[in-house]
Amino acid sequence: MADVLVQGLLVGGVYALIALGFVLVFKSSQVLNLAYGEMIAVLSYLLYEMLAGWGLPSWAGILLLVPCGAALGYVMERLAIRPLLGQPFLSVLMMTLMLSFLLKGVVVLFWGSKSFTLPFTPHGQWDLGPISVIPGAAVSFLTALVIFMLLTILFRRTRVGLSMRVVAADPGVAQSLGVRVRQIFSLSWAISGAFAAVCGILVGMVFTVTPVMGDIGLGKGLPVLLLGGLNSIPGSAVGGLIIGLAESLGSYYQPGLEEVIPWLLMLVILLARPYGLFGERRIERI
Amino acid sequence: MLPSGVFNTRPEQDMAILRTKTQWLLLVAGLVFLVTLGLYVSGEWMNWLIMVGIYTVAAIGIHIMTGLCGQFSIGHSAFMALGAYTTAILGTRYGLSPWITLPLSGLAAGVGGLIFGVPALRIKGFYLVLTTIAAQFVIMWAIRQPDWTGKTYGLEVPAISIGGSALTEAQYWWLTLGLAAITLFFAKNIQRTATGRKFVAVRDNDLAAEVMGIDLFRTKLLAFFIGCFFAGIAGWLWAHYLLRINPDLFTFKLSLWFLAMIIIGGMGSTSGAVMGAVAIMLVDKAVPALSPVLESVFPSLGFQIPAALSLILFALVVMFFIFLEPKGLYHRLERIKLYYRLNPFAY
Repeated sequence: MADVLVQGLLVGGVYALIALGFVLVFKSSQVLNLAYGEMIAVLSYLLYEMLAGWGLPSWAGILLLVPCGAALGYVMERLAIRPLLGQPFLSVLMMTLMLSFLLKGVVVLFWGSKSFTLPFTPHGQWDLGPISVIPGAAVSFLTALVIFMLLTILFRRTRVGLSMRVVAADPGVAQSLGVRVRQIFSLSWAISGAFAAVCGILVGMVFTVTPVMGDIGLGKGLPVLLLGGLNSIPGSAVGGLIIGLAESLGSYYQPGLEEVIPWLLMLVILLARPYGLFGERRIERI
Repeated sequence: MLPSGVFNTRPEQDMAILRTKTQWLLLVAGLVFLVTLGLYVSGEWMNWLIMVGIYTVAAIGIHIMTGLCGQFSIGHSAFMALGAYTTAILGTRYGLSPWITLPLSGLAAGVGGLIFGVPALRIKGFYLVLTTIAAQFVIMWAIRQPDWTGKTYGLEVPAISIGGSALTEAQYWWLTLGLAAITLFFAKNIQRTATGRKFVAVRDNDLAAEVMGIDLFRTKLLAFFIGCFFAGIAGWLWAHYLLRINPDLFTFKLSLWFLAMIIIGGMGSTSGAVMGAVAIMLVDKAVPALSPVLESVFPSLGFQIPAALSLILFALVVMFFIFLEPKGLYHRLERIKLYYRLNPFAY
């Protein structure tokens, strides 16, 4: 039982990181990037290609993947999302969904239905006193923790973080104060893309890399996002942990239940508190 | 805009769906053409026509929900599944005739729509989109569980028979055509009733609509009910056409197709929904046609091309419309018609 709880928490760390990629983009540009899951999948496969195809060492692959992710995020924002600034939200939403189809198509085109584990995934089990943990999950949880700390520092202590918060609060005011709003949009997409790269590595370590791995973005990322609140960074952390826990408890009592538990929690949250546990409560009726 | 020399002098003329003799003539000619298609089209293209008809019914459902009432839904194929499973279970287990299960399928899907439509009172915009995505996954998960839905293997569906013999492909096409025509008429008609106007009012500004005395909750739920009812009817048609259904038919991708149909056709236009359905199905038809060409150009990618192409082509077509033709095919057609009515003047 304790194993189950710990495992759930550790996986929850990864989910929190996935939700973070959504939150970053949503906070700055009010766009819900539903292509995020497929970004993770494409980057995972890219890492595999670098390691297995080009024969790079693991550390070089990982170091190279993060800028690739940032570039992917930047290109997507620049080419597909920015031209739609000011369009109705359905167009933007549909555009992100179509981007996800495109990325999925790319994955299927180049890698077909291959699935694999990343070569540096640690094997076996780690025994910590009475409980044993799966090392991949533990490593990814720690990485998620570090990233959350870095992000908090970015937002609280740096000038760029300050401008990002201003843009999140009100793009119009931000622009009149001399903040380059469009640069901030690009930057947040690039950071979110870099997170997708990290998620790609971590998800590949915890689960296997398969063509359907992009579904994790919708299947886990969205419920976590809604639970925590669309624009709350601590919310995505807490939401991730809750969903991870609920899921592993669910599969402990009834295998197969873990697929639907995130969605059910999301429906309940939408009915009771649509702005999420930590989200900014807006005065207008949403 | 009316053609030159045609004026509305009576209220009935203003309300008419078909205003001019030319429109009537085109309608009759079009219907005759579609009906006679059943006589000389067969095989692959007959199958294509029937699928267009089925998707048209579902797309008109989503048009009423999203295009008219502004309640976005990305869970339409799950409601279609509710209809399909209703007729499969009632037909095989209880031996009910398909004609009795037709309205029941619609009702089952409609009630499902009501349940997931309840949050629509409190939330809108992408919160509602997310609710309907959740509906898609929850419903399809629930269908996979119990024994009496056949788990992941699915169910047999009895064939529709008239006078003791099962329908042929051509007869099934006429049935699909008939139902699609009724649906189309219903959708056109609802726009000139009080209900349809309420839908539009809620879509354009729900606060103002409420102040004007429109019962928001009822109107939104009614939109959900009607939209999902048609999804159920489409599910009924599909189930009886395939004679065997399983949960893998009703994917998230299909739900996106329906949304893409009304985006491509033009939001809020009934004929747009039909055009969108035809356009998306043409894209779908282009995939197997293009794949061999691409395979010969890129032999190393081989088998993966058809699967990848269907995703990429669909995405590119929808992106093209979002970027360059955001008002859809219907709007383009109207512009062309306007040009010819005004020619040689600019306005």
